[in-house]
Amino acid sequence: MGIFNKDEAHTLIVGSGRLGASLANELSDQEKNVIVVDSDKSSFRKLSPSFGGLTVTGDATSINVLKEAQIEKAGVVIVVTNDDNVNIMISQMAKELFKCEKVISRLYDPDRRTVYEGFKIDLIYPAILSVNEINRLLQQKDSEEE
Amino acid sequence: MKKHIMLIGGFNKTLSLGHSLIKKGYQVTAVNSNYQDCQKLAEVSKLNVIFGDGTKPYILEEARIDTVDIAIALTQKDAINLVISELCKKKFKVEKVVSLIDDPKKIDFFYKMGVDSVVSAIQAITNIIEQQALLDAITTVIPVAKGQISISEVPIPQNARTVGKKLWEIDLPREVIIGTIIRNGVGLVPRGDTRIEAGDELILISSAEQERAVQQLTGDL
Repeated sequence: MGIFNKDEAHTLIVGSGRLGASLANELSDQEKNVIVVDSDKSSFRKLSPSFGGLTVTGDATSINVLKEAQIEKAGVVIVVTNDDNVNIMISQMAKELFKCEKVISRLYDPDRRTVYEGFKIDLIYPAILSVNEINRLLQQKDSEEE
Repeated sequence: MKKHIMLIGGFNKTLSLGHSLIKKGYQVTAVNSNYQDCQKLAEVSKLNVIFGDGTKPYILEEARIDTVDIAIALTQKDAINLVISELCKKKFKVEKVVSLIDDPKKIDFFYKMGVDSVVSAIQAITNIIEQQALLDAITTVIPVAKGQISISEVPIPQNARTVGKKLWEIDLPREVIIGTIIRNGVGLVPRGDTRIEAGDELILISSAEQERAVQQLTGDL
């Protein structure tokens, strides 16, 4: 279990859903500094009892909430709310307003990727990842049958 | 060719904006993700209505975004308006994109993201309320340069202490200049030795300290 260390850069996770919370637990177990933001306090229940990071309750599309979560000092910002549009806005704010070095975001709908162009934001597409993984499993099965 | 304007999201705003734009001779398309709202919008004659989520590129394509000259994002949520604006600007190269914004703190950010014009209802309303509440002496105020500079019209009452004084005798704040004096309906360019008369209307250009200037110009003897 990691205790929050003020001197080290932290990882800021926006959205404490299944992905955000399990990522936070994982990073905290690796003794990394983590701050998690979510507008719904009850979603922090998904964090494990041994989670050693900080939580901020608030709407992360607001500049004040992002500042409260010390976005300026964050080494990495991971934006994984359940709303594509919100993810796009927050990651662009992180990049443009707060000049964050590394921003990772999730996009459900790959059609919207054009809005991310030119921002150097790393993107995760769950649909494409799943397709690739299922394909891989299918190929595995095929080769086993051969 | 008629100019084609697309209104995305928003119901009451789209309704009244749509009416007024059609009246002015524009071709107007409304995109809305609420089916009932679409049905009501479809009652407006000549208004083209598309049912669907405006943040999805294929919906915009269906609404013929390629022929649009001006796109206006009118939803309630900033994130949605931003994505619509960026899609219109970056993917579909719409010439002019206007977006409504809820949180006034993000206005600069929206401009940075390439939105051509950002309209903050909250800011507009608070400005008007402030004017009405605080500045009785000023009749009209026009904000320019995103509200940093305001142009205001100040009538000089009979009993103002500035009546009969030359402009250089008045100790105006540095942030304010008198741009024009309107006397008997005729505008004249003021100089340092121009005298102020009762009934004059002064056009002030100011970056700040407007209230203090008005106080000095119109205050009693």
